[in-house]
Amino acid sequence: MMNRIKAGRVTRRDFLVGAAAAGVAIGAHSRIARSAEEKKLNVYNWDTYIGETTLSTFTGSTGIEVQYDFYANNDELFAKLKAGNPGYDVIIPSDSYVADMISLDMLMAIDHGKIPNLKHIDSDPNFSNPPFNPGLKYGVPYLWGTIGIGYRKSKVENPDSWGLLLDSDKYSGRIALMADARSVMGLALKYLGFSMNSQNQAELDKARDLLIKQKVHIKTFAEDNGQDLLLSGECDIVMEWNGDIIHAAEEDDDVGYVVPKEGTQVWIDNVCIPVGAPHPENALLFLNHLLDPQVNAEIANTIKYATPNKAARELVSPEDLANPAIYPTPEVVARSESLVSVGEFTPAYDKAWTEVQAA
Amino acid sequence: MQNWRRNKFAFSVLFLPPAAWLVIFFTLPLAIVWVYSFGARGPLGEIILDWSAVSLGNYARSLEWINLEIVAKSIWIAVVATAICIGLGFPLAMGIAFASPRYRNILLLLVILPFWTNLLIRTYAWIAVLRERGHVNFALEWLHDTINGGLAVLGLPALLGAFEPLQLLYNQNAVIIGIVYVNLPFMVLPLYATLEKLDRSYLEASLDLGAGQWRTLFSVTVPLSLPGISTGVLLTFILALGSFLTPDLLGGPDSIMIGNLIAQQFGSARDWPFGAALSFLLMYATFIILWVKAMVAKREGGSAF
Amino acid sequence: MSISTATATPAPRLRRPRRDIGPLDYTKRAWMRLLLAVNFVFLYFPIVALIAFSFNDSKRNITWQGFTFKYYTQAFNNNALQDAFTNSLMIAAISTAVSTVLGTMLGVALHRYRFPAKDVVESWVHLPIVIPEICMGVAMLALFALIKFPLGLATVIVSHIAFSIPFVAVVVRARMAGFDLSLEEASRDLGANQWQTFWNVTFPYLIPGAVAGGLLALTLSLDDFVITFFTSGPGSTTFPIKIYSMVRFSVTPEVNAASTILIVLTLTLTVVAMAMQGRGGNKKI
Repeated sequence: MMNRIKAGRVTRRDFLVGAAAAGVAIGAHSRIARSAEEKKLNVYNWDTYIGETTLSTFTGSTGIEVQYDFYANNDELFAKLKAGNPGYDVIIPSDSYVADMISLDMLMAIDHGKIPNLKHIDSDPNFSNPPFNPGLKYGVPYLWGTIGIGYRKSKVENPDSWGLLLDSDKYSGRIALMADARSVMGLALKYLGFSMNSQNQAELDKARDLLIKQKVHIKTFAEDNGQDLLLSGECDIVMEWNGDIIHAAEEDDDVGYVVPKEGTQVWIDNVCIPVGAPHPENALLFLNHLLDPQVNAEIANTIKYATPNKAARELVSPEDLANPAIYPTPEVVARSESLVSVGEFTPAYDKAWTEVQAA
Repeated sequence: MQNWRRNKFAFSVLFLPPAAWLVIFFTLPLAIVWVYSFGARGPLGEIILDWSAVSLGNYARSLEWINLEIVAKSIWIAVVATAICIGLGFPLAMGIAFASPRYRNILLLLVILPFWTNLLIRTYAWIAVLRERGHVNFALEWLHDTINGGLAVLGLPALLGAFEPLQLLYNQNAVIIGIVYVNLPFMVLPLYATLEKLDRSYLEASLDLGAGQWRTLFSVTVPLSLPGISTGVLLTFILALGSFLTPDLLGGPDSIMIGNLIAQQFGSARDWPFGAALSFLLMYATFIILWVKAMVAKREGGSAF
Repeated sequence: MSISTATATPAPRLRRPRRDIGPLDYTKRAWMRLLLAVNFVFLYFPIVALIAFSFNDSKRNITWQGFTFKYYTQAFNNNALQDAFTNSLMIAAISTAVSTVLGTMLGVALHRYRFPAKDVVESWVHLPIVIPEICMGVAMLALFALIKFPLGLATVIVSHIAFSIPFVAVVVRARMAGFDLSLEEASRDLGANQWQTFWNVTFPYLIPGAVAGGLLALTLSLDDFVITFFTSGPGSTTFPIKIYSMVRFSVTPEVNAASTILIVLTLTLTVVAMAMQGRGGNKKI
């Protein structure tokens, strides 16, 4: 790692030196313990983003105690690990974050030989060879899904376009968008016929102007609670993660989820091992455990997200498999995109988003 | 006030431990971030601190019109919220301070108690109170239906039309209510601390000399409690200015405040240098206010805080 | 806790107008009681709703669906929630104790001594109040990464103490502003040494300030999310961190239940502490 830094990425040396130093310090410590790694594992994940028995079956079969800690979003995870790994063994970042973490040497390459269950991953290149993590070198896919329109069936008829949220006064005052810069800007771009990952300033300006114009009809940019707005009757049509709306629909028959005709953002969360993990061997065991068809199906059945694990899908409830909100059709996926890092263009997105919020 | 040289030992014992703590665990870390504020954002959100990248660019960017607009709006919201906090907090602090000693602690505890629930939970509770199908609108609807029902019994036509729920959430008012709620104890506690120790013989004298209660309040009580008022105003205003969760959850699509902008830089924008520059500008501004206040107080011979 | 002070003179009983309300018994007046009631309704409306709905038999707190204890059972059976709970209480207890002592010392020092560049020092002390939380959180993270100190309970406690000290100091300083230093001189003239003077004259006077400051520190520590997030490591998840993490999948009434338990628990602890301190304090004064 030190060599790679010396090899010339001078511009971010100052940042990396700190990160590397912290990493090396923790790494050195763990190397001593490697021969007989202590029976511990520090997992860093969202709360309730795991099966009910996942951890207990892991401890049961390996004797490794799991310390489970929480973050609330990818940005928090990224910020927390940016200065050096404070001691986590397993983290679950989303697609574009995985790419950035790889570029910043924040993730450890995983030894595929130690994860026999890797063979269960769907051979679809979206899962087995995703652009953000070629060859699954730095992690394995965990769960995936979409962003779509959550709506109240009795109030909204057949919402087939992002235009109802982004370019229409039909549901004025009953609309909530998400509060995520890249996703909202991206879907506005998508509605206008551009790529969600556009790096064209003129396209971005059009998306920004569209959102600014629509603001009078938007109730709020919801902080990951669009499903609550829908359930409480505050809004009739919201932009949300599929899982949130699926859970809402379980409680209220009048709630529906649909991916509009323009396509949408597809996301994949991944299980990765951050550089400097104190228990990397245990972490590999845990990755393998998560890919076990039984374990994986239990997770999918508990939290109602789509699994990229083909063997596990055999064990997932048929009802879920048939639900297009959980498992979108291949056509929907084909129309959609994943977010990728826009690199130098990121500040343009943030500026446009600030302008949207301040307007 | 003593010169510290007269009693170096006592001064050191009192001053050095907390000062050392703050230097090591506050000033030092802040110095690191201060250095960041002159750096630049790398394409992946790294902090670039090469000599070639070091500049005042982040500070210049902070002064762009759009950011100033956000600052101006934040100040306005903070001023309104602080004013409401005084309006609510002064009588509250006075009521506690002049209660019989037996009840003082209980009342004080009652003020603090709501704040032992998590901020997020409290904010969610406000959502449940203010939303269209929330407790306030439910109560209004009940009132509305009762009146209409009463009229119907009397054989009169319903005067009130169908009930239209009030839009109490997702606007600036909701943000202000939330900020007032969150910061009220920071107004009440310093006010209470001052009012409680007020030498009551001044108030007695004022009343004995024929001034009415109101005149006594505004000519004696309020001036005498100025140290507490200024501490409370300062704390509330500063904390209100930095709010970000409240505008996020209770605000509409245009409720961004300076705290949100800063939080975004450390979060999704991954622009720590710019976030640091914004934070430090906010700090410099407050530092200047505090310093001016100290100067004024010194000239008037009063206490600085 | 005895909040009665050395200087507060009891209202003289010379004039006693209508009924039993003394001229300064503001709290006994109807208008003051009305204002207090308005304040307390404002403060408690959401809290009461929150507590009531922890007993509501519905996952979404919109309408009342019937009474249930199940969210309390769930909260009690949720190990992660309990760990977070224990962490929060432990962190709050230690950081409140330490920061109250240190903050009071600082407040007293600032009040009583003149020293070079005092204005600057006073402003400096206020900085932790001024600085956006997230900036301080990032700063702490950067520091601990630089000195390679592993993140955990210790780093969280250290940070909580750091951001609480100024709040305590400010409140104590405000309290001390009205302290008559001639009382100390009198004490020394009467033969008390410096320590006795401080303990018997100054200390009792500043107690209410220290208590108010301490309550603030406790509140800040229990509620802090941002700085805690950046300074916590494996095994030091607190209650707020746990709750924020739940937002992605909707906050459940379990959290209402846990919040209610937290209120009851801290209330009980504080009342017990007050009662004990009150007994000890009364002897002293």
